[in-house]
Amino acid sequence: MASRIEAKEDAGIPRQSRDWVPLIVFLGPALVVYAGFSLFPVLKTIYNSLHVMKPHNVVEFVGLGNYRSLLTHDEIFWKAVKNTALFSVFGTVLDVGAGFLLALCLFAKVPLARFWKIVWFSPVLISYVVVGIIWVWIYDYNWGIVNTVLRWFALDALAHSWLGDPHTALWAVLATQVWKWAGFNMIVFMAALYGLPPDVLGAAELDHCGWLAKLVHVILPMLRPTVVSLLVLSLIGKMMVFDVVWIMTRGGPLWSTETVSTYVYKRAFDWNTFDLGYPSAIAVVWFILILVFVALLTGSLRQRDKLEY
Amino acid sequence: MIRKIGITCAVVLLLGLFVRQLARPQAAITTLSIWSHEADEPAKVAVRERVAREIERAHPGVRVVITWYDSEGLVVALKTSLPAGQGPDIFYIETDWSDLITDGYTLPLDGLIDWNTIYPWARKPWIYDGKTWAVPQEVYTDELYYNKKLLANLGFTLPPNAQFSQEQFLALVKKARAAGITPIAQGVGDRNYPGAYILTQALLHKLGLNDYGRLFGGHLSFLDPRVVAVFRWVKELVDAGAYPKNFMTLKLAESHYYFYQKPGAVMLPMGSWYTGRAFVPEDEGGQPGDFPLGIMQFPAMDDAACNECKVRAVGSSFAINAATPHRELAAEYLNAMSRPEIGTLWIDTVHLQTAVIAQGSASATLYPGYYKELMARQEGAKYFDIDPSDFLEGACLDTYVQVMNSSFPGGLLSVDEAVRLMNQACYKG
Repeated sequence: MASRIEAKEDAGIPRQSRDWVPLIVFLGPALVVYAGFSLFPVLKTIYNSLHVMKPHNVVEFVGLGNYRSLLTHDEIFWKAVKNTALFSVFGTVLDVGAGFLLALCLFAKVPLARFWKIVWFSPVLISYVVVGIIWVWIYDYNWGIVNTVLRWFALDALAHSWLGDPHTALWAVLATQVWKWAGFNMIVFMAALYGLPPDVLGAAELDHCGWLAKLVHVILPMLRPTVVSLLVLSLIGKMMVFDVVWIMTRGGPLWSTETVSTYVYKRAFDWNTFDLGYPSAIAVVWFILILVFVALLTGSLRQRDKLEY
Repeated sequence: MIRKIGITCAVVLLLGLFVRQLARPQAAITTLSIWSHEADEPAKVAVRERVAREIERAHPGVRVVITWYDSEGLVVALKTSLPAGQGPDIFYIETDWSDLITDGYTLPLDGLIDWNTIYPWARKPWIYDGKTWAVPQEVYTDELYYNKKLLANLGFTLPPNAQFSQEQFLALVKKARAAGITPIAQGVGDRNYPGAYILTQALLHKLGLNDYGRLFGGHLSFLDPRVVAVFRWVKELVDAGAYPKNFMTLKLAESHYYFYQKPGAVMLPMGSWYTGRAFVPEDEGGQPGDFPLGIMQFPAMDDAACNECKVRAVGSSFAINAATPHRELAAEYLNAMSRPEIGTLWIDTVHLQTAVIAQGSASATLYPGYYKELMARQEGAKYFDIDPSDFLEGACLDTYVQVMNSSFPGGLLSVDEAVRLMNQACYKG
């Protein structure tokens, strides 16, 4: 073998060029796929955002015109930003928090733990369309279970059109989202909890550490990487929320559940105009904002000192 | 050894058969592709599929493939495939998708279609720049259906012209609500227009054809006193409990069931395509066989310009893709669908008006009295030929959907807020 390499070197092929061959062979296909399906669409969206896109590939350059209109004149966009921000912040905290509490219940071996695990995880397996329809029925004023229960407890005054009132619609949709995703976070937390070193937990118990102190000072610090990952994933998902809102409210009533994604869709396909430039500008602005938020969140929650145990 | 020879022979034989099959001249297959909405209406599916089979029989070697979509899926599919120079040969189109025409994705059909079998007024909405761009199949009028028995039980008798005054209508709403009956079964959970039926019809009566067109065309202010008066009257209806409490989430199909099954309501304003859902077997969601269905006129407004005005619109229509290589064949399909006998079949099986000048009468069908009553309600009517949700666009359309379709009839907005929002989005001055 050694003599063969020497022979190639002798043939005048420099070692550096030869090192590129396996790199290209192994990375090339993945890079082509990445460029075609990720990079190109992103660049094309940025390009579109600087133009008014007319049919038959007729494009008119407007520079930052779309961005100017978006940031200075578009009231619905700012409503959508506010709604998405509320949805993302509260949704992320509730989602991850609920998942953690459910995981703790199972970790503490509550009765029927296996049964509860299946029950709590099963919403994750249901499609958004089905989840949306189920919850629209649950919230229905006349026959929905929420109002039925309230009436059963003689709380008729609290019975409400949950999705029909701008003050409650967003929170009703948010509750649905939490119901669907808490089970996923629970499973991830379960895996992390069972991966904790038993000797550290045992040592805490030997030191007469109470359950709350053990949770706050031992378990949570060790779960920090998991918490950060779930918070980031959840935040990204919620900043792009579309399906559940579209199925349940289509952004209504009075734009009270309009999110940035539903607004992009409406501008692109529902406004009886063919211009994809303006929706592209919204998408670019939102992409940058998501990037900034994720960087800030990751940076602020990053573990600076490595735990040793 | 013998086994090896056997396997080799078998492989050679199969290879030979394969090559022979490839070499054989194949009969050329032409596929005419059609994308259509309304998969959930079996009678319409049956009519369109029947015409497809007729074309296949007339042209051996031609396959007609209809792909069935729901409305929203079809819009997205068309708006992504047509700009890419792809898409079907023929596609379903509605009048509010006119951007597909103005942006040049459809073929002008003037010389390709036999227009003698189509009502001229139904062709009219499809004429832009002097050319006709789609073939209408379904036409409808906006109607106010009611339960005859409930109306009688509440002590109301319809006047001979089948039209209550605005005061009588308000009294009916109040009395029904007091009796614990929902006056109007309407919901906006999945559509952008039904919540506006009462409001837009009242505006049409009050303003007349011309000013109604100017209002939604952006040339008449929503602050016009006549417009505000209509909004105030509708607000009275809303405050009197005209609509169900689950108005915001009740879906279109559910509102039909709500009206004629459970819990029951006095009225249901709906396009005359009501029949597509109601005139199916009861166990498939249709109205009970003995349901006392009636049709009344939308209420007369005080000091109205045109209380006999109605909205008449073109529903399902079909266009030919400008990029199709099969334009003659596509036109043949649309011509076949527009034959008078297919028009009659449509009326008899779909129980809905058609743009095709049909032969014979539908009076011998399953619902004989219905069609007669429908025709009686249209006698002497003056028509506005399109629904606002079909021609509005951009922010005006979005505001119409949020305000006039849902939040105002849903009781979330005052009259002042509603007219201000509409004016801000639609009035061009």
